[in-house]
Amino acid sequence: MTAMTAVQGEASGTGPFWRRPWRRPISQLTPVGQDERRPAGPRRSLRPWQRFRRAGWPYLFIAPFLVVFVAFSVYPMLFTLRLSFTRWHGTGLAQWVGLNNYAYLLTNPAFWASLKNSAALWLLVLPAQIVLALAIAVLLNNTALKLRGFYRVAAIVPFVTPLVAVAQIWVVLFDRDYGVINHILNLFGLPDVGWLVTSTWSKPTLALLFIWKTTGFIMIILLSGLQAIEPAFYEAATIDGAGRARQISAITLPLLRRTLMFAVVMQTLAVFQMFTEPYVVTEGGPYSSTTTAGLYLYNHINRADLGTGSANSFLLVIIMVGLSLVFVRLLRPKD
Amino acid sequence: MEHTTAKRLASAAGLVLAFSLATACGPPVTSTSESDSPTTSARTNPNRLQAPTDDSPSGEIIIWDRSGDLYEVFDAAIGKFNQKYPNITVRHEAVDIASKLRNTLITGTDVPDGVFLDDAYVAGYKDYLWDLSDVLGPYIDHIAPQKIGVNTIDGGIYGVPYDLDPGLLYYNEVALAEAGIDPNSIETYDDLLEAASRYKQYRPSAQPIHLEQGAWLGQLQLEMYANQLNTSMADADGNLRLDSAEYLRILTWLDGVSQQGLGTRAEYLSPSDIGYLESRDEVFYPWAIWFDYGPQAQLPETSGEWRAMELPAWQAGGARGGAMGGSSFILPKEGANSQLSWLFYEFLMFDEVGYTAVYGPNDVYPGGTNTSIPSYGPAADPAKPLFEPFAGLGYQDLWSVAVAAGQRIPGGNPTPTWWDGAVEYLGNNVQRMLDGDMTPQEVIDQSTADIQSNLIDRQ
Repeated sequence: MTAMTAVQGEASGTGPFWRRPWRRPISQLTPVGQDERRPAGPRRSLRPWQRFRRAGWPYLFIAPFLVVFVAFSVYPMLFTLRLSFTRWHGTGLAQWVGLNNYAYLLTNPAFWASLKNSAALWLLVLPAQIVLALAIAVLLNNTALKLRGFYRVAAIVPFVTPLVAVAQIWVVLFDRDYGVINHILNLFGLPDVGWLVTSTWSKPTLALLFIWKTTGFIMIILLSGLQAIEPAFYEAATIDGAGRARQISAITLPLLRRTLMFAVVMQTLAVFQMFTEPYVVTEGGPYSSTTTAGLYLYNHINRADLGTGSANSFLLVIIMVGLSLVFVRLLRPKD
Repeated sequence: MEHTTAKRLASAAGLVLAFSLATACGPPVTSTSESDSPTTSARTNPNRLQAPTDDSPSGEIIIWDRSGDLYEVFDAAIGKFNQKYPNITVRHEAVDIASKLRNTLITGTDVPDGVFLDDAYVAGYKDYLWDLSDVLGPYIDHIAPQKIGVNTIDGGIYGVPYDLDPGLLYYNEVALAEAGIDPNSIETYDDLLEAASRYKQYRPSAQPIHLEQGAWLGQLQLEMYANQLNTSMADADGNLRLDSAEYLRILTWLDGVSQQGLGTRAEYLSPSDIGYLESRDEVFYPWAIWFDYGPQAQLPETSGEWRAMELPAWQAGGARGGAMGGSSFILPKEGANSQLSWLFYEFLMFDEVGYTAVYGPNDVYPGGTNTSIPSYGPAADPAKPLFEPFAGLGYQDLWSVAVAAGQRIPGGNPTPTWWDGAVEYLGNNVQRMLDGDMTPQEVIDQSTADIQSNLIDRQ
């Protein structure tokens, strides 16, 4: 604050900027609260260079970020946007096709099927995961619980375990004929289930893998939100006779809305971009029933249909931004 | 007011800048489908690789192989190569080729000089690769026609053929003997159906014939059957030819196996598949030669019980050879030392010392690399086996069986550039048929329509 105030306050000073602000006596700095941009006295127009000296240096300080952002985010996005209007297979001239790629995707049942698959996975994952993560977070936020640190670490372990290794375990566990899960079902007289080889069960199996893998991460986010709630609220509620359930509904959930919103948006993005799980476990099958939006997009890229892949990317961006805005709207704190 | 105007001006400038950036980003664009490579005569075509003329070629080459057994095999052969070419340094890298090759070729950064690649993918990378017609010229007449066929696109040859993967009928000899079935009686696919039926009568729990449940491998196996009938999904001009009597016949037979309960629906050597194989419920496996890896490493209970024979014919006296899969080596045009990498592959594939190092006894396969046979005729000499019989197949002479089958594989069937993409349609539809959701004719009709509109028309 002090340094920034000094930079803004020395526009009419002399000498190189890096010598002045930090060397000026504190008494010469503009007091906080005073309008620093409009010093008393007649107003005079400044030359561009003077204006830059007055307001440009902060931009210089954020330039490193901007350079990286432009190089690795803006440029690729613009590249992709332009590519989405072409037919290009990665080499030679790209052919301008206008909105053809978008029209192709929007009229293609496979594109909509991939979105439906992702939407179904979202329904299977999100509600269950948020409830589960919240329950674990509330449990681990209880100061009376022993070994809390151990449990917190244990909960995050699946998230940091390499997915490809876990996926292979999933394949073995859920094998139709020789998997442990069906073996357990058989012990109770239940028939074998084609967990990974039928379009009915492949999505729930994949959703289970995703929940197991990422719930720890969501739990940590929610736990941080819980720890930001003042204990005094709970103490007051206890004094007023509120039970645990009432405290959760009247204090925890309302004060956790912002964190919940963040978790929901994050997981919505993650589910719609889900790629590795179906790629490794089911390869998108059976019958493309687990070809998620992310995997469908990859398939275009993998077969060098880069124009269609780029158009697919932008359609997903639009959908994701729309969904995120809806959740932000629905879950924003009422204050 | 002044402030608002400034903001508007800034916004407009931002839009102009974004638009300018957008038009500057990406590859050069044309409004037509014009080709960027003018027609040139064959001899002057700059896309054709020429062999180096140096007496003592030198330099470093980057060679990509997929990790696993073959990486180790090729790695062990580099020493022999360096005895012949001491001034060429081979940087041999184990790479996830499927995920890295496309991006590397598009960006042109750190492009390798040679890459091991499934034949099914070669056509899809054609625009990045050297046409090897000239350097392969002296060897072409001795290379299996099927391998030349799958590497030939628009008249150019884009891969150095590595292995030949003849389809074979693997069978559990011990289990069949117990059921009183003589495998030598199986000469046609109808005979195979009959033998499977008899085995099921002997062992009611059996589902004797493997029916692949993976869409990609299922399509590859379908192409093996089609190759036997000297056809493939597309002709040399890229036109679809699924709608044919040959494909209908194959699909009808597969559908029959499924409908009669004579097939095991499982993915290749998945836990389910291994379980059925080890319990002797699954005793017939029409597959590429590389199924022999199973009896060697993954089927301890039935190892030694398995044998291989040529595929049955589709009609009495018909062709019994068909290829399933296979790999080649591609040489990207952006590679820094493509000519030197050609020398590497020339040595490994066409020099006796080289192909003996690859297929002969090595640390990974002590009896020799037996999961395929060479596609180069002189290397696949029936009288000079490069790998030895092994316990998994009861010390059967697999070399003789495979070489004989390899010699009968029809050639001239190209792999279309969109082969991999067709799995989403044909591969999936075959699975639907095997699950009873489609008829053979529906598979053909639906797949033809989908491949045409989604893949061929969008090339």
